[in-house]
Parts: sequence; C-alpha cells; structure tokens
Amino acid sequence: MWKSIFLFEIKYQLRQPLFYLVTLFFSILVFMSGTRDGVGSAFGRVSLNAPLVTMDLLTRGSIIGLFAVIAFVASAAVRDFDRRTSELFFSKPVSRFDYLTGRFAGSIVISLLMYVIGALTLAISSFMPWLDPELVGPFMVAPYVFTLGVLILPTLFCLGATFFALASWTRSILVTYLGVVGFFAVNLFSRMMASDLENEAVGQMLDPFGVEALRGAVRYWTIAERNTAIPEIGGVLLYNRLLWVGVGLLVLGLGVVTFDPSRSRSRRKKRREETKQVAPRGAAGGVSRPAASQVFTRATVLTQFLRQTRLEVVSVFKSVPFIGMLAFGLFIVVGGANSIGREVGTDVYPLTHLMLQAIQSGYAILLVIIATLYSGDMIWKERSLGVSEVYDAAPTPNAVYLGAKLTALVLAMAAFLLCGVAATIGFQVWRGYYDFELGLYAKGAATLLVYPALMVFLAGFFQIVSRSKFVGYALMIVFMLSWDLIEEFGFEHHLYRFASVPPTPYSEMNGYGHFLTPFLWYSLYWAFFCAVLLGLSIVFWNRGIDTAWKLRWTEARARFRGPARALVAAGAMGFVATGSWIFYNTNLLNEYVPSDEAQERQAAYEKEYRQYKDGALPRIQAVQADVDIFPGERRVEIRGIYRMENEGSEPIRHLHFNLSNQVRVNRLDLPPHQAEVEDDELGYYVYRLDQPLEPGEAAEFGFDLTVEQRGFVNHGPNTSIVANGTFFDNRAYFPVLGYTDRKQLVDRSARRKHGLEPVHRFAKIDDDFARRNTYVGVDADWVDFETTVSTSADQIAIAPGSLQSEWTEGGRRYFHYKMDRPILHFFGYMSGRYEVVRDTWNGVAIEIYHHPGHEYNVARMIDAVKKSLDYFTANFSPYQHRQVRIIEIPRYAAFGARAFPNTIPFSEAAGFIARLDDEDAFDVPFRRTSHEVAHQWWAHQVVGGNVQGATMLSETMAQYSSLMVLEKEYGPEKTRRFLKYELDRYLGDRGRELVEEMPLSLVENQPYIHYSKGSVIMYALKDYLGEEPLNRAIAEFVSKVAFQEPPFTTTREFLDEVRRVAPEGSERLIEDLFETVTLFDNKVAEATYTERPDGTFLVRLEVEAKKLRADGEGIETEIPIDDWVDIAVLGEQEIDGETDDKVLFFEKRRIADGQVVFELVVDERPVRVGFDPYNRLIDRNSDDNLREVSRSQDTK
Amino acid sequence: MLRIESLSKTYGNGVQALLNVDLEIPKGMFGLLGPNGAGKSTLMRTIATLQGPDSGAIRFRGLDVLTQKEEVRKILGYLPQEFGVYPRISAEDMLDHFAVLKGIVRPKERRDAVHGLLQMTNLHAVRKRKLGTFSGGMRRRFGIAQALLGDPQLIIVDEPTAGLDPEERQRFLNLLSEIGESVVVILSTHIVEDVRELCSRMAIISKGEVMLCGEPASIVADLDGRIWRRTVDKSEVASYQESMAVISTRLFAGRTIVHVFSDDSPGEGFESVDTDLEDVYFSTLKGMYAQTA
Repeated sequence: MWKSIFLFEIKYQLRQPLFYLVTLFFSILVFMSGTRDGVGSAFGRVSLNAPLVTMDLLTRGSIIGLFAVIAFVASAAVRDFDRRTSELFFSKPVSRFDYLTGRFAGSIVISLLMYVIGALTLAISSFMPWLDPELVGPFMVAPYVFTLGVLILPTLFCLGATFFALASWTRSILVTYLGVVGFFAVNLFSRMMASDLENEAVGQMLDPFGVEALRGAVRYWTIAERNTAIPEIGGVLLYNRLLWVGVGLLVLGLGVVTFDPSRSRSRRKKRREETKQVAPRGAAGGVSRPAASQVFTRATVLTQFLRQTRLEVVSVFKSVPFIGMLAFGLFIVVGGANSIGREVGTDVYPLTHLMLQAIQSGYAILLVIIATLYSGDMIWKERSLGVSEVYDAAPTPNAVYLGAKLTALVLAMAAFLLCGVAATIGFQVWRGYYDFELGLYAKGAATLLVYPALMVFLAGFFQIVSRSKFVGYALMIVFMLSWDLIEEFGFEHHLYRFASVPPTPYSEMNGYGHFLTPFLWYSLYWAFFCAVLLGLSIVFWNRGIDTAWKLRWTEARARFRGPARALVAAGAMGFVATGSWIFYNTNLLNEYVPSDEAQERQAAYEKEYRQYKDGALPRIQAVQADVDIFPGERRVEIRGIYRMENEGSEPIRHLHFNLSNQVRVNRLDLPPHQAEVEDDELGYYVYRLDQPLEPGEAAEFGFDLTVEQRGFVNHGPNTSIVANGTFFDNRAYFPVLGYTDRKQLVDRSARRKHGLEPVHRFAKIDDDFARRNTYVGVDADWVDFETTVSTSADQIAIAPGSLQSEWTEGGRRYFHYKMDRPILHFFGYMSGRYEVVRDTWNGVAIEIYHHPGHEYNVARMIDAVKKSLDYFTANFSPYQHRQVRIIEIPRYAAFGARAFPNTIPFSEAAGFIARLDDEDAFDVPFRRTSHEVAHQWWAHQVVGGNVQGATMLSETMAQYSSLMVLEKEYGPEKTRRFLKYELDRYLGDRGRELVEEMPLSLVENQPYIHYSKGSVIMYALKDYLGEEPLNRAIAEFVSKVAFQEPPFTTTREFLDEVRRVAPEGSERLIEDLFETVTLFDNKVAEATYTERPDGTFLVRLEVEAKKLRADGEGIETEIPIDDWVDIAVLGEQEIDGETDDKVLFFEKRRIADGQVVFELVVDERPVRVGFDPYNRLIDRNSDDNLREVSRSQDTK
Repeated sequence: MLRIESLSKTYGNGVQALLNVDLEIPKGMFGLLGPNGAGKSTLMRTIATLQGPDSGAIRFRGLDVLTQKEEVRKILGYLPQEFGVYPRISAEDMLDHFAVLKGIVRPKERRDAVHGLLQMTNLHAVRKRKLGTFSGGMRRRFGIAQALLGDPQLIIVDEPTAGLDPEERQRFLNLLSEIGESVVVILSTHIVEDVRELCSRMAIISKGEVMLCGEPASIVADLDGRIWRRTVDKSEVASYQESMAVISTRLFAGRTIVHVFSDDSPGEGFESVDTDLEDVYFSTLKGMYAQTA
C-alpha cells in the first residue's frame, strides 16, 4: 500500500506543470550563478567551479528552492482536503502511517529531483565556452554528491517534514510558508551566534540549513583547498546534520500521530449540532424592514474604506502566524542589537542609531517575504472564504477593497517597525542606557518603512495582474533575483531598479547628513511609480469571475477613467518629473560611472600611462597650503604650493601629475610649459617644460582647486566633506606627481578581462631602484609642511603641525599650523564641532577632539597615549613631535583610525562608544590609540622602501608596539584574547587572497598578514627571544634607519638586527616566522595521570606535532619538525568563588618528532594539559591543543 | 422590469453556457428552473454584474446592466450559490459591514436596518455568534439578510434552497415571497416545488437555452390532459421508453410508475393524471413540450 501511495504521489506531481516550471526556473537560476564570477565563493583565485563554490551555489540555490519544496510538500499534505476528496480516501483501508509517509516521501523525492536537475545544470554551466578558461578548474563529481547528500537532503528532509506537518495541522498554505520564514529566522540567529568567536559552535549547530556548519568547516581553507577539497563529514557538521534529521523525524512522527483526517479547514462540523436550537418560526410576517437610505458620496467611499481597512487590519493582526512572525522578528532584532558593534568580544553603548541598524538588518528580508506572502493571502481572501461574489456585487468601488488591503499591509509593516523600536528601547533600558532619541527613532523607522511599503504595492500588483497566488509569488521571486542580477550586468542606477533607494548611513556627528536628500527624492520617485501600479491594480482588480484576458482587458479599459486614470496620470507625471530631476542631478550635474566603467578606467589608466612608471620626477620638498573648508556648503577651496627639486642627475623635461576628477581647477602655476597630455577623465597630465629642470634646480607648482558638491549622485557620495566632521587627506584632492600604481587593478581575472598582463603588486624586496621611494608615495619623502586652514565659526579645523596662531575673520575661524620638522608627504584636514580635552606628557601636549556626548573613553585614550609614549620612548627612540592629537571623525570612513604626523583622525565607530564598564571588557580604544601612537615611530620615523615587506615595518611593528603597551596595562590573558581574534582573522582571510599569500617579511600590503598574522608572529618572537633583547634589536634598527634618506630600509635589515640578538640555533625560527608561510598542526592525543604515594601526580601526555610549509596558494608540504613548543599542565583554583586555571607546569620543550610522550610530575591534581596551549604557533586547528586529563586506568 | 435580449456566452473551454437567451422578467418572483449545468448560474451572475456575456443586452429600469455596473449594484441584492463567511466575525458585525459596503452609512439607520433584517431572518437571537458556528440554513438566512440590505429593486438568489432541510427551506421561501411582491426577484433552482409554491412567472432553461417561459399555472393548464400514468414492472420500463414519450419514471412499492406525454391515451392501462409542474419540467427537458404561446 505504501508503495502505491508513494508512486501515486510522484506520478501525480510529475503530471503537474508546477514541477516543470519550478525546475526550469531553478535551473536557470543555478546556471546563471554558475557562469558569473564574483558570485558565491568564486573570488580571486578560486575557480568558478571549485568544490567550495559548487557547494556554496547549490546550497544557496537550495534555500531559494525551499519555496518550491513547500509547494510540493504542502500540496501532498492538503490536496485531499482542498479537493474535498479526503473522505473518499479515509473511508478506504489505508493506514494513517502509509498515507502520510507515502505522500511525504513522494513529495520529497520530487523536491530532490528538482535539486538533482539543478545540480546537473550547474555542472553543465562550467563547460560553457564563453567562460574565462583560467577561471575554470577540472570537473569533479564529488562536490555535487556531497552537497546533495550531506547538505541538501537532510535539510530537505527536516524542513519538508516540518512543512508537511504544518500543512496537515493547519491546512493553511500561508502558515506553511511562514514556517519557512521561521527557519530563516533561526538561520539568521545562528549566523549571528556563529560570527562571534565565543559561541560559534552553538551557532553552527543551530543552523537548520547546515550552511554555518559548512562555513565553520571550511573557514580556514586556503585557496588550494577551496579549489580541490571536500569537507570531512565529522565534527560540528556531522552533529548539525544529525540534529536536524532528528528534528525532522520527530516532527514527522508527531505529524503522523496527531493527524486528524476529520478536521477540515474551518471546523464547521463540530459545531453543527449546537446550531439547531433556534426556535422554528412559521412565517416571517410581522416584522417590517426599516427603511435605510443608501448614500453614494465621496464620504461614503471614505467610510467604506475605513471600515474595510479596519476589517483587514484586524484579520491580519489577529492571525496567529502574524503574531508568530512578529515574535520571530523581535528575537532577531534583539539578537542583532546585542551583538552590534562588538569588537574583540566587547560591546558598544546601545546608541539609538545602532538599534535602528539592528532593526534594519533583522527585518531586511523578513518584511519583504511577509509583504509577498500576505499580499497573496489577502488579495485572494474573499475568494478563498467564498464571499467574493457578495463583495463584488456590492456598490463599493474597487479602490476601496484594494486600498484597504494595501493599507492594512503597509500598517502591518509599520507595526513590525514599531515593535522593533519598542523592543530595542527595551533593550536599551536593559543595558542601562536611557538616551532614547525618540525623534531619531521616528525618523529612522520612517526611512525603514519606505522599502517594504513600496514592495507591498509591487506584490499586490503582481497578485492582481497574474490572477494567481503562486504566479504572483513567482513573479516576486523573479523580480528580486533580477534586481540583483541587473546590477551584476552593470545596471547600477537606482532609476531603473524598482524600490532602489540609496542608503542613509547615520553618524553620531553628522546625523543623516546629506544622505537624506537623495533618499527622499528616490523614495518620492518610486512612490509615484507605485501610484501608477496602484492605478493599474485598481483597473485590473479582479471583480466577478471572468478570467479570459480579452474580457479582462475590455473591462480594464472601461474602468480606466475617473480616479484610477487620474492616479495613473498623476503618478506617471510625478514619476517622470522626479526622475528627470534625479537624472539631472546624478547624470548631468554629476558624472554617473557604473562600476564596470570605473574598472575600465582603471585599466585604461594603466594601459595609457604605466609607460611613465619609472620616469624621473622632481621631488616635493615643501608644501604650503591655504585650505578653506565650508562645511555647510560641503565645499573646500585649496590654494597650495609645492616646492619641487630635481634630486636626480639628469635634467627633467616632463612634469607628470594626477588630479582627482572631484576637483575643479581654478588655476595651476607652473614654469613655462606645453601641455602634452591633459586627460581629464583619467586625471593624468603631462606638461613639457620649456626649460628642463636641471639637477639640483628647484621649481614651484602652485595650484588653486575647488572641491564642491553639485546636487547629488547616484552612488558613492562624497563622505569626506560634510556638515560636521569633515576629513580628507592630501591624496584625495592635492595634485600627485607621477604614475601611481595604486590605481591599478589587482584581481587577476579582472586584469585578464581588460587584457592586462599580470603585474607584481609590489616591487621585489631586492629592487634597489624601487627603494628610492618610501611606500607612502613616489613624489616625495620628507617635506616641510605649513598650512592655514579655515572653517565656519562654530567648528575647529585641524591639520598636522604646531598651532602657530588662531583668529577669526569675516565670520570664519582660521588656524595656522606649521611642522617643526620635516614629515612624510602625508597629511590630512579635519573640521568639526568639537569638545577638546587636553593633557600633557613630559611636555608633549595631548589633545582629544571629540564629539560632545562621546566622553566615555576619552580618559582611556589619554591614558593610552601616555603609556604608549612611556613605552616607546623608553624602548625605541624619542618622540619627534610636541603634540599627540586624536580627532573624532564620522563613521563613514572605511578605516578605524589613521595616523598622520602628530595628528590622528579616529572614527566614532572605533572605540569612542566602546563599553568598558564591564571588568571583562577588552579595552578597544586603548589598544587602537596605542597602535596609532606607535605609527609615529612606525611610518613616521622608520618608513620602508616601496618594496615587499614595507607594511610589515609600519603595521606589524605598530601592532607589536601596542601589544606590549596592552600587556603592561592589562596582562597576558587579555593580550592572548586579542591574539585569538587576530589568528582567526588571518586564517580566515588567507583563502580570500586575490593573488598570492606572502610570507610576513615580504607582505604586499595584505592586511590579514601585516596586521593579524603580524601580531601573532611578533608576540611569538617576543616569547622566544624575550622582550628586552627584542626591543634592543628594534631600538638599534630605529637608530640606524629613522628619518633616513633614500634608499629606504627593508624588512631584511630589520631581521638582520633581530638575528643579532637571537640565541644560537634560532635561525630556523626567524625563517619560519617571517620568511616563509609555516603552519603547525599540534594536538594532545592522550593525557592521563596517576597519583603517586607522596601526594604528587605523574602526568603522561602524548602529543602529535606536524610542521607544514605553505605556498602562495596554500598548498601545504610537511617538513621535519625540530622546534621548541610550550608544554603545560593546568590545575584549578578558586579565586573569589570562581574557578580559574592554575598553571602547574609550563615549559618549552624541544619537539623533534611527530609523536612525543612526556611524563611530568606536578604537585597538585591536574585538570588539563596543553601542547602550545596559548597558540603561539599558527595552528589551523587550535581547539585540540588543550585536553582534559583523565585518571589512568592501568594503575591499581 | 428586467429585459434580457439575445444573451450568449461561451466559455474558454467551449462550453456553451447561454445561447440567445431572451427573457422579460416583471415584478414579483421569477423562477428559473433547470438541471445542473443548464446555465442558470451564468445567467444569474451576468445579471448580477459579475460576468460579461459574449453578446446580448440586459436592461433594468433604464439601466444597461452590462455597462452601468456601478448603478446596478446600488439597487441589487445578490445571494450567490456558494456563500462563505468570515468565520471569526459575528453575524451582526458582518451584516453591519455589508451595510456599509452597500452605502448605508448613517449609523442609526444602519443599526435599525441590521437589526430589522436579523429579526426578519430570525437570526436576531444569535447575532453575537461567530459566523463560523452557523449551520447551513442559518448561513443561507444570513445570506438573504445581506442580499436585502439597502432596499434592493433587483434581487437575485441562486439555488438558495440547496442543502436546506424542509423546515429551513419553507421558512426561507416564505421570507422571499413576502419581499417579492414589490420588486424583481429571480430565483434559480432545480427543485420544482420551489417554483410552484412561490413564483408568479417562471422559465425553464436547459443547455443554455430558454425552453419555456410563462406563468406556472397557465403552463400546467396547457398540459392538462396530456400526461398519462401507468404502473409497470421494472423490466418493462425499457420497452416503454422505446415506444412512447416517457417523461419520467418513479419507483413506488417495488414497481415503477411511468409518466408518458401524449395528446391521446397512449394505450391500455394508462390513466390521465392531474398535470403538475414537474411533468411540465420533464416534458420540456425531454423536448416533448415547447411553449406554444
């Protein structure tokens, strides 16, 4: 019997067009994503059909496919009830078990078939002839089998079982669809958990799709592994799969046990008996119908609209699934609020705009899904209840019915946002934060409502025009996919992507700033479009039972009059008018450059001008500039002079320079010349000097530039010059001499696409020619710097240098800064309404310019400045300036802070609002301040030549310096905590390398290496050499190379100093740490102890060690190990009622073999043993370095 | 006065629902009789502005029903064949809501109208109950209550008695007849008694065509003396059907009573019967009798 039910189900579904439609759609989707780069994990050097990419695309596709799975499964569950054939079925001798599981299995097989066809399509897609052959790896079957078997099938089973049970319990498709939303919510929540190092395993376990568990398993994969490997089925991934299959079995079992075939949709039958009590009555005589006048005026229509809206609102808001979704949404929002802004496990103050951000990301997809699902449900509600004919025959305009439904849906969206606001206010209270900023909440919620509200109109329109709930849903899915797709094809203008509005990032300093204006224009634009949709929806509103298109068309034309027509006309006019205004702003006042064109220009720049790369340039010796900042107008005027000198031995005939296309040139003052190249688009200029600049001769380059904002742009608005918190550096707007290779395309496939040969990102370390420049710039090294900067009367303007004088003139404030010694040609300007906190350290002025209200951590920053100056002056060299300034800037900046000479702009997001009142908190601002102060040495004293390894000399050394200050202040445990995050980031990011992973000493400006790996390596080096010898080597190095003239130093010279202090036999150590990519795989295999008669304990531990060398792609080769590694035995002790580790034994031991057994005697009962327990060595699996000790079995 | 002129409708799947239907329907109850699938509902829905015909015209009191839909809906009361409800709303609230949709916006008048209709349909005692708990008969009565909102001049009730028990049905028909005195009421049904008991005029429709139209009494009178009856064995029925114009067969106490249409006695053993509407119906459907008048 089971078999025939099962086969019947399969045959039935295979006869339905739905299966073919959905499978076709799914396959097209998969095919398209398989043939485009930049999708999924295909990134940089990972090929388009790499196993990881295949797994990623298929699982992601499978999640979208879930919407089809529901249709299959729910159809199997409720078909007999919909068709009223259930009684036919259940009067037959079919067991409940056979019936349900047979149907279920059939529908699951159908779903799986869809996925298998999708997988085949993906496989085929990798053979398409137009793909870049460099990006296609060898074909492998295993990833498809793995994805289908391990990732998709268990998920399908579990979710399918849940949908099946939900559908057979509620007989409601809507509830079933909302079930999938529930799974998405759990997925989102688990993703949030998994992104936090402390509880990543829980997050990975909880994710019903297994995506997080997979991500965990492949997180540290190298490029090579991404291209060839299949994850092991074990660990969290295995448990996750088992967990959810178990959940699926449980739910399916419950579904079978509680199945009640007699219960129909609305439970009419049960009540049947009790309705008979009405007394019969012979005739209806005697009661007359009171006269009631019908009134048909506009007021009536309004009343009808309000009443109908009330009915719709009540029916939505009272429905259980809606309340369930609301609860789910809040769960996600509060979860997001809890983790927002967290850095190194340390929270930030729950500022209102962060709460709004949590609401936004929590609701991002949820609201659109709800708008889609409910629009289908609501628009067809009268039909499904069987009251539509009465409604349709009533003298009520279409607009009333449609308007009420859409209004109710928009109100539902608003309710979500309001509840989100209420929940986050509650969260703020819970966190003891009471500055609610209700006005901001109102503003933020209003902006967040725009997108879902627009979606309501679109979803409604699709439902009405398609006349079918499922087609309406499918249209929405197609719309959403195409929305992203057309962006991939270079259509990035908001003007032709429905409901596309520019983001409105919020800054504490600058509020919504200038982002609000374009947002409002685009919102208005799309609102007008929705008016057209609304008008058409009214016209096509399904009234009566005609389905033929011809009749609907005739009817629609007849209806196209009155308000509907006015709405369409007004909407269309408004749409065109606002669209024209937007176009005028984005494309005429400003230049609209889609990203593929921007890339094209980058390529063109290289093709045209790379020939001048090594040409002789005059060197800038001094910079003098008058800069006027007009924050209100977002305008800057720059009048400057470069004093340049020919430092070479040949005459210079040509002057090459770049100008940003954001500046308008008012005037350039140069020696007499002929313009040879004036390329405004690429910003490159070549002037032939009438009189060559002879060696040793100087010349002046004067420039008068304006940076102004005209109207608004489509994307990438200027965030440097703003109403409060302006910040820009010289490279943004000042002329830059010579060809700059920083503008080149890096990604290899992008380079191939534009016909560019592979180039080295950085010159080789032994390229002495390249060492003539610092890595900061090719046009200068040390310059004299003097500037006068002015701003509006209520702001303070800051630039590097000592403040010479300050005055007010013409309602503006002027500040004259002058550097007392030459600095690198690298400076910035800032202006804002600041509060200033001052302090001093040994005659050095410390100034913190912060946003009023951001006092929280200013004292910590000052402390960090002082302690850093203490440590660095004591251990490295004296401080070269007379001030250390920290200036808060808006969070628009992509970086946390940037160190200019004596002046450090510091993002409001990076530590100003970190919450340090918890003793356990990691002092984020302290560490970051210390890092930036360290740059006054590492970059501004010692600066590497423009060759490989240069950023190690600035960033890695700054990391090391700050770690030392941190360790002095907070002890080794917090330092290790920070290092744990650094190790995680290094291991995670190396698989996303675009070109090649370099050893640390040859780093090519790769942040994951020079910051993250650098921290871990330098800390290990300190551990091996000792702090004092290492600092001695560093001080020696500084004394040799600080403020040097070309050629500039390299990491080789640094390592030479290190080798000098290193003990005998540590040659290999420096090679492992700096000159190669070396990894370890260390673990404790076995650990037991026996208690000895004298009360001591004999611990026996067996360790396994492996040493690996990786190449630039991450291909590892094992090499013999002969290294000193930490061995630890830990006990437990109670301190203030808390159990803590107590170190019983800690020593470095030489490991010269893959397997070593140690026997150690300790005085107290051991609890855990460790083999490199603090992860001083780079180890991809750092969890198995510690192990619980068990009491030995073979004693006694 | 409702006038239907050569109304035709063919569905996309080729089914001919209406074919040149011409009808004149005066004030009072008008019965539309026909078997399932005859096109009754199509006709009713077309009159109720829910469907467009392929050709033809419908006029009611100077209104073109097919184009002036909004105007027609203002004076229309419609009870569709399948009538669902919002299960979680009380009868009173729902009726009040329908009243608003019908344009009865003055609160006092609306309240009176709602209560009056609930009393009239004998639902006043249960007005607070959720509609989901109503029986089929109560639901039908609720349906008629909503159809009567706003003093409609044209009332269309599609198969209102289907599924009702005899008592419920009786009560329902009484209600209708009371209203039907002053306005046009069109009642479609496949139950002959409904028409006989209530309607002043009627039409029989089959396969989309009007087979007969007139006053029930005069039609019955027209057939008087032309219907014959005989009780026969079951086994003989087939041969009678072959040789005579058998209009209906009915089992009675193990034997079969056959009714035969014939101007003269069809043969031995047949007796003339008092013609009733059912005989008219079957004769018409079998094509043995067509309107002469």
